[in-house]
Amino acid sequence: MSDQFTRMKLGPSRRRFLQTVARAGGAAMLPASFGMGEAFAQGANDTLVIAAPATPQGLDIEFDVSLGSIDSLGALYEYMLGYEKIPDPNAPDAQREDTSVHADKPNNMALRGRLAEAWEVSPDGRKATFKLREGVVSNWGNPFTSKDVKWTWDRKFNAKGQGLFQTAVLGLTSPDQIKIEGDHAISFNLDKPSPILLKQQCNLANPIYDGTKCAAVGASDDPWAINFLKNDSAGFGPYRLSQLVRGQQAVFEARSDYWDTKPAMKRVIMREVPQSASRFSLLQGGAVDIAQFLQPREMEALKSEKNVAVDAVNASYMIWLELNAKIAPFDNIDVRRAVNLAIPRDEIIRTIYYGYADPQTAPMPYIYPMVDKSFFSYQYDLAKAKALLDKAGVGKGLSTTLSYNAGDPTQEPIALLIQTSLRQIGVELTLEKLPAGVFYENVTKRAKPMIFYLDSPWTPDPGYSLYLYFNSKSYVNYSNYNNPAVDKLITDGLATLDNSVRMPTYAEVQKTLMDEAPWGFIAYPKYTLARKANLKGFTYYSSNNLRFQDFTRS
Amino acid sequence: MLAKLRLFARLALVRPRFAAGYVIVVVVTILAILAPVIAPFSPTEADSLSFLQPPSSAHVFGTDNVGMDIFSRAIYAPRIDLTIAILGTGLSALLGGSLGALVGYYSSGQGIRVWLSFALMRAADVLQAFPIFVFAIALVASLGQSIQTVVLAIAFVNAPIYLRLMRSQVLSIRSMRYVEASQVNGLSDFQTIIRHVIPNAMGPVLAQLSINVGWGIVLTAALSFIGAGVRAPTPEWGSMIAMGFQNVVTGQWWPSMFPGTMLAVTVFGFSLIGASIEVLADPAKRRLLLTDVRLRDIARAAKTAKRASLGQG
Repeated sequence: MSDQFTRMKLGPSRRRFLQTVARAGGAAMLPASFGMGEAFAQGANDTLVIAAPATPQGLDIEFDVSLGSIDSLGALYEYMLGYEKIPDPNAPDAQREDTSVHADKPNNMALRGRLAEAWEVSPDGRKATFKLREGVVSNWGNPFTSKDVKWTWDRKFNAKGQGLFQTAVLGLTSPDQIKIEGDHAISFNLDKPSPILLKQQCNLANPIYDGTKCAAVGASDDPWAINFLKNDSAGFGPYRLSQLVRGQQAVFEARSDYWDTKPAMKRVIMREVPQSASRFSLLQGGAVDIAQFLQPREMEALKSEKNVAVDAVNASYMIWLELNAKIAPFDNIDVRRAVNLAIPRDEIIRTIYYGYADPQTAPMPYIYPMVDKSFFSYQYDLAKAKALLDKAGVGKGLSTTLSYNAGDPTQEPIALLIQTSLRQIGVELTLEKLPAGVFYENVTKRAKPMIFYLDSPWTPDPGYSLYLYFNSKSYVNYSNYNNPAVDKLITDGLATLDNSVRMPTYAEVQKTLMDEAPWGFIAYPKYTLARKANLKGFTYYSSNNLRFQDFTRS
Repeated sequence: MLAKLRLFARLALVRPRFAAGYVIVVVVTILAILAPVIAPFSPTEADSLSFLQPPSSAHVFGTDNVGMDIFSRAIYAPRIDLTIAILGTGLSALLGGSLGALVGYYSSGQGIRVWLSFALMRAADVLQAFPIFVFAIALVASLGQSIQTVVLAIAFVNAPIYLRLMRSQVLSIRSMRYVEASQVNGLSDFQTIIRHVIPNAMGPVLAQLSINVGWGIVLTAALSFIGAGVRAPTPEWGSMIAMGFQNVVTGQWWPSMFPGTMLAVTVFGFSLIGASIEVLADPAKRRLLLTDVRLRDIARAAKTAKRASLGQG
């Protein structure tokens, strides 16, 4: 009876309250839903709307190489040189950079001038002189001169960011090696010839800044405009930054004073949509033109959509396991070999990547010149793996930890497949899921015995790629691999322009690396793009980024 | 025992939702205990040939994206979820309840005890203001990802609740005559607290325990969802939902739907148990409930008598 009284006392008012809340909530949802639709609805045909995992956190390549940032670079900045484009053999609507060796072309490369109109490399390969294009202005209206190139490369020495690697890999030790030869001429003077000097002028990591603007905004307390370039741009690219609201969107407007062909897409909206399922839905519903970095399963599902096209091209991405040579048991070469024999690559590519990857069979991207896949000998063989573990004296009850990135949805299932496979040969893996920030901290600290890594070397050159990951002094040598003979071969190959010398040198390096297995070689994920079917012009770049100026609408 | 079971059955008929709660929790507990016997597949072995299979006779709940059987994992999961939730909640009740009793008993008067009580309450404020996920991630970063870390996270976050609950109860109880009497009889403060104060303050704490166990299960699942919980491939509802939810948009709904449903039903069961304990622990509400039971018994007896008289007539 008391409960009935209680219901009488509270029920009607509680019911009334709940009804009121429901009505208010529904009313509040309506404008929000219209607002959302409006936010995502496309305007004119010359507006490109991209659903991206993240907006640029910083616009300065010196300190930020995150996904949103690298897509912005190609729009805001221009480079000294670029590669010629060729049709992609796997995607009929797509093009790609031609990074192959061409013995019949100048410098054996298919290059085209961008900010550099012409160039000449001295016979000894130690000096490259660039004649710069006249009549180019920055997004701040400042004319492009050799001072801008000089300022850009001086900054690499002084800003203490990734630019130090860019100078080191060229053998540059002083800013004095970059000399102004005239208002529109500049030279790079090296102690030793470098086969990647011209390639580095195409590298996304080496944009040319408007030195005049940067010097003006930097003043004495920020002479290298670090604070300015984090949030704005000063470059010669086809777009200018119109709006940046981190966590929400970035808007780019095409420049009417751009020196080259004006982009067809006058306006680009990069909207942050962290979940790939949401990006998938937006593209499926026609609310965006491009949905970046969808999961392989989602790409597969989009193939059947009428108004959507899916491009998948061979790329410079590699995913591998860093087997830390300074932490047991991976200080033992036979254990590393055993792990490689027990990685179920075909299963991973079928189950996790849905075929949008190829097995990794070399220690460098398979699309780069001089890659040699003939040394791969780790076809799946558990018996051989077990025998190697026995030989290493760890045949019974070996256990270790495999760490992976919680922010990468492919890594956990790959880890599970590897764990199941290794369990069959008596290796018990404890899987350690790390939040993204903690994950990268552990990678750079080289703190874990076994950890995933997904990366791509941006310059399509064997010396660049192998130096980056396997030179014992390289910051990115996260597996602590140390072989002085390999160091010498890599360095020798970076000091000659003669491809007839480079090729066998790097073949020897690759043979040694495959034999000594500093990595657990897994796969070459393809670069995939899900876009509206009427959006054309996709071009694949070895830096794995989009350039908005490529796109047109059919 | 039999009489108590009969009473429980009669209570259940009057309040079927209470019974539902107990049934749910008992069923989930039995599943957890018998999982090694019932589960048709290993809950941690991947089988890439069977990935993302829909529900079928071979895999009742289907398989996930690495081919693990979802039914097997879903019934193994309560072993982890219940263990973590019960341990974490128990630890928080022990820690928070003990401190709350002390704080409530000594919160007036003078001396260092009063200041310590004040300091503890402020510390509880700080702890309670801390976002649970930030706190859990910080714990994982420092202690590593493990079941123990999750238990600690739950214990620390919930302890202030019991501290406040026990404190508020003790504040009213400590002025009771029986507490005075125990002091007059020469019992120490500690003995008084243990024998007379805490037992009489336990009612709301017990009710809160059940609800917090349900909340602990949700928290465990949520921490696993964001990667700060148990390690893969340990079967746990939250991590199963995390692995599976991205498949929903491409039509593979089963990897997250089944563990999500089991999670929701289990938490609901604990909430119902908490509601029943709240009634049974409160003397006034318990009297009313028993009155309802008696009224029902009287009505049944009257009905039976009427049928009997009509039959004879």
